[in-house]
Parts: sequence; C-alpha cells; structure tokens
Amino acid sequence: MNDIVINVKSVSKAFDTRNVLRDIAIDIGTGQAVLVCGINGAGKTTLLRIIAGLLQPDIGSVKLCGYNIRKDPEKAKSKFGMISHKSMVYPELTVLENLSFFATLYGVKDSDAYITKLLQDIGLFSYRYDTAGILSRGLLQRLAIARALVHRPVLLLADEPFTGLDAKACHHLINVLNEFTKNGGTIVMTTHDIDIGIRCCNRVVVLDKSNLIFDARTSDIDTAKFLKDYIGYARSAT
Amino acid sequence: MRNILLFVTLILFLASTWTALTKGRIEGPSANPDSPVRNIIYTHVPSSICSLACFTVLLVTAIGYLATGNESWDHVASATAEVGTVFATVLNATGSIFSRAEWGIWWTPSPRLITAAVLWFLYVVYLILRSSLPGSKQRRARICAVFAIIAFLDVPMVLYTARFMEDIHKASFSFDNWWQRGPFIMGMVSTMLLAAMLIWIKTDVLKIKSRLEAE
Amino acid sequence: MRYFWFSLKAIFIKDIVTELRAKQVLPTMIVLGMLIVWVLRMASEAVLQSEAVIGPVALWIAFLFAGLLAQERSFATEQQQDCIYALLLAPVDEGTIYLAKLFVNIVLLSIFEIIIIPVVIVAFRLNINNWPALIGVLLLGNIAISSVGTLFSAIVQLSRARGALLSILVLVILMPMMIPATFALLFVFGAIPQEMAGTGALAFIGTLGSAVGYMITFDAVFVVACWLLFGFAIKE
Repeated sequence: MNDIVINVKSVSKAFDTRNVLRDIAIDIGTGQAVLVCGINGAGKTTLLRIIAGLLQPDIGSVKLCGYNIRKDPEKAKSKFGMISHKSMVYPELTVLENLSFFATLYGVKDSDAYITKLLQDIGLFSYRYDTAGILSRGLLQRLAIARALVHRPVLLLADEPFTGLDAKACHHLINVLNEFTKNGGTIVMTTHDIDIGIRCCNRVVVLDKSNLIFDARTSDIDTAKFLKDYIGYARSAT
Repeated sequence: MRNILLFVTLILFLASTWTALTKGRIEGPSANPDSPVRNIIYTHVPSSICSLACFTVLLVTAIGYLATGNESWDHVASATAEVGTVFATVLNATGSIFSRAEWGIWWTPSPRLITAAVLWFLYVVYLILRSSLPGSKQRRARICAVFAIIAFLDVPMVLYTARFMEDIHKASFSFDNWWQRGPFIMGMVSTMLLAAMLIWIKTDVLKIKSRLEAE
Repeated sequence: MRYFWFSLKAIFIKDIVTELRAKQVLPTMIVLGMLIVWVLRMASEAVLQSEAVIGPVALWIAFLFAGLLAQERSFATEQQQDCIYALLLAPVDEGTIYLAKLFVNIVLLSIFEIIIIPVVIVAFRLNINNWPALIGVLLLGNIAISSVGTLFSAIVQLSRARGALLSILVLVILMPMMIPATFALLFVFGAIPQEMAGTGALAFIGTLGSAVGYMITFDAVFVVACWLLFGFAIKE
C-alpha cells in the first residue's frame, strides 16, 4: 500500500552559477498528494522537471516506481503523466486525435474504448471532434489532464496547473485530482495558490534557497499558522 | 613553466621568421622565381597544419564534454575555436596572396582552397553559434559540442570532394639546403607551440571567469 | 521494434496532418522556390546560352532555401503549448523523434520538388535525358538537406534569430556536397555531354556515378551522425 513511487536521492542542480537545488532527498509513497511550495525561484519547477526526466540533476538520482529515470527512461516514463500551465497538446489536431496520438506514443492497447470513457469522465466527449486550438482555457486544461491520464499512470506531476483557470475550471480540476488520489494515485504538485493546494494534498514540502526546509502532513499542521509562518518566513528571507 | 614555454615560443617564432626572410628563399618551378612572396610558405603551411589540428582538438573536447559534462572540456573548446579561427584566417589570407602572386588569381575552386574556405566558415559559424545561443551555459556547451562533431565530419567530405577536382595547388616547393629547411621546421614547431600556448592562456582566462561568476 | 514503428508512424502522421491543416509552410516554400528560379532566370538573361548551366544551379538554390523553411517549421510547431515536452515525457526514444521529423521534411521537400521541377524546366528550357537519375539525385539532395536541417532546427528553436542561425548552420555543412550535386544535375540535364565525364576536360573529374556515390556517402554519414547526436541537441 505504501510503496515508494518517487525516490529523490541527494539531488543538486545549478544553472550557470546559481544553485537552484541543493542535496534534495525525498520519498513519496502510493496515495500521497504532495504540495511543493516556495517563493519564485525556490526550485519547485526545477525539481518537478528533474523528477519528470526533462532535466538532468548535476548530482543525485531519481527513481520512479523503482526505475531510474536516467538509466531506464522508457519504463520510468510510462509510470507518470504531467500537466502544467501550458496544455502540451497540438492545436491543429482534434481532441480525439490528440489523445489517440499520445495513447500510441505510450503504447496503450485498445485505446479507443478507454479514450471514449476518459472523455466522458473528463466532460469533453461532446468536444471530441473539435480542434484543440478553438477550446477555451478551461477545456484545454481538461484535455491536458486527459492527455496525462491516457496511459493510466500511477503518478501525476502538476506544475502550476491552476494558472489561468476560472473558479469552475479550478473546482473541476480539484475534483479530478482528489479522485486520482482516492483511486490510489500519487500526485506531486506546485502551485502558488496554497489554499487550493492544501485542499488537494495530504502532504506539504517547502523549498527555500535551494534547500528543502519543511516536510509534514497537511493534517498535522495548522493551516492558518502554516500560511502565516510560510509567508512570514518568506518575508524575512527576502 | 608557462612563462618559460611562452618565451621559448616567441624566440623560436622570431628566429624562424628572421631566417626565413633573410636566408630561406624557396626555389621551385614558377613563373617568377625571384618572387619573395613564395616565402609565405613559412606561414601558410604551419597555419594550415595548426587550423586542422585545432579542429581535431575541438572534436576531442566535444566528445569529452558530451561524455562527462565537465565544464573544463567546454573551456578548452571555446579557446581552441578562437585560436583555430585565427589560423584559418591566416591560412586563407596567405593562400590568397600566394595564389595571386603565383598564378595571377586571388582564388579558384581547387580542392585545397575549397577545404581552406570551408574550414574557415566552419570555425566562424561555430563562434557565431556559441555567442548567439540562449539558455544555460550547459545547454550552450552541449549544442556547440554537437555542432563541432557534425562540422568535423564535414572535413573528410570536403577532402573526398577534392578527389574529383583538378588541383591548381601543387606542392611545388622543395628545400635545397638547411637555410631553407631549418626555418620551415622552426616555423612549424613555433606555430604549433604558439597555438598551444594561446589555447592554454585562453582556457585559464575562461576558468577564472567562470570561478568569479560562481562567487 | 513494433513499438518503434508505431511511435515513428504516429509522429510522422501527426506532423503531416498538422502541416496540411495549418497550410503554413508548404505554400510559402513553393512560392519562394518559384521566385528564386525566376529571379535567377532574369539574372541569367545577361549571359547568352547559359540556361542549361544556370538551371540546375537555380534548382539547388531553390531547394536549399525552401528546405530551410521546411526545417524551421519542424520544431517551431512543437514550441506551441510546449508540445515538445509532451514528446519528451513520452517513453519514446529521441532518435525515433528525429527519424519521424526527418521523414516529414523529406516528404515536404518531395512535394516541393514535384511542383518546382516543371517550373525550372520551363524557365530554363531544359531537357531531361534521364528521369530516374534526376529523381535519384534530387532525392539524395533532399535527404542531405533534411538530415542536417532537422538536427539544427531542434538546436535553434529557443534562439530569436532562429531562421538566420538555421540558414548558416545548414549551408556551411552542405557546402562540400554542392559540387558533386550540381555536376550530377548538369549531367542529368545534358548540360555536359556524358562523353566528357571523367576525362579531365571538366573541372569535375568524376562521372555521374561518382557524383551519386559521393552523395550517397554524404547522406549515410550525416543521417547516422545526426540521429545519434539528436538526443543531446533536444534536451534542455
């Protein structure tokens, strides 16, 4: 039940002369929804990209479900999906074509029936023949979620997924994320909207000045105090 | 150590230049056997060897960087490209001057002249790429290493093309005595040493710059 | 292996469909190609009886610059909505992405070829002695331009002077190939009598066979090298 899904071991990363991450170590187990907080430039997106294999750490390693993202990229990449503030879908392709394309890339067998069900669950079934370029921001984010889930991953990485979404779209995304963790999925998310983040997540970590300075379950913290301390800490740090 | 080597290089360079200009007249079948321009061989041939050698060093550093990710390889690559460009420029310029004096034309598409021109362009494009790539230093180093490997593969392709072309550029010089042979060998050694020293100095400058930026 | 073909096919079809729907690059390529051909035709008016020589040259120049447009597009589309990250997140080898993009560029240039060849033949009043040889030579040129251009297109994506940088990178690598490529076309269009080939009466000592052999070698070397190096070029 509590298998380690993500194992980040002594990860450090610098861009040019700036240290962005320094000796980060964290284990994330099945069913955990982790909120990664920090001020701008704290290294949240960098950490997520290193976990996703889009960036190589200078030192350290990342394993996803036991597979090293660098040595076994194909096995590791099949375990997770990723969403961000950009949809990562092709505007000229229809909703259905986008999902079929990514299903093929992930080697999903018998994808047609699953894609139909996914579209119905996400609320995009009636838009399946529309090109992605004409969808609204909220619908585009739903398509992005569908793209990330098309291969039935056990892990979802979400980098600022609420950016640009209205209240209804936010609410829909929160439901999707909660449903994902309820079904045993693991989430790692970054967002500046701490209130929403805490609603979706059961664990929160804070990055500051390239170090991991806080790690606790959301049930163990006083949210108001945490927000005050977190913001208070950020103020004194700057 | 480096200062000693620099001193030796400069002495050798000056000695070879002086000897070449005063004693080392090269004979050979020519329309103008008295032309002093033929002494340009003392600069032209060493520049040619150096620019090709620098290109090989560029390849080695490119492979080194892609294999290890160590910044030092990139510093050497950057220094080598600059030095190689200088020698490729000297090669083309001296070649043109000699060509005009010897054959009456500034340039012709003969194999060696094409090779020299392509080499110069490859160096210059490498430098432009290095200076215009956005993103982190690591990304720039990686992309330049990729280009260096592709560019190196281009050189044998140029030489292969050369097999199909008539060559106006014949190796028509010969040495009659050691007054001619001597400065040539000295010039070769001093030019290679000069190239190595310049690369060494520039690499150190880049390392210091990198360390200062880190602080 | 099956997975490799499925991914390759999926990316290839996706790119072709995207381009056919966007209709961005192909029309521009064709118009640019035609303009280059006609500009060179006008310029060659000053020199009598030169069409048979300038025609093949015009064809290669049109090919090169239209090819650059196609290659710039191949990764520009991936920059929209950060789609390149979606490709890199998928369990697809980077070499597969390169090969798929290479085939797309070859197809787009082939479509361009089919349209531009009649234009060149009409503009320069050329005769084609050997259609299979013409198609073969153009295909080899196509592969050379596409192989190098696809790799460098991935490299220049983040740069502001993307088009200019891509042009100088591709053109400098293709420079050596232009000599045998142009002579091959001159042989094919009959601008040079076959009996003169290999005699030393020409600046190019080789024959059509040796020129084609060179182009095959060039293509083989650069397709393999670019495929192997693509993974380093595409990463952040």
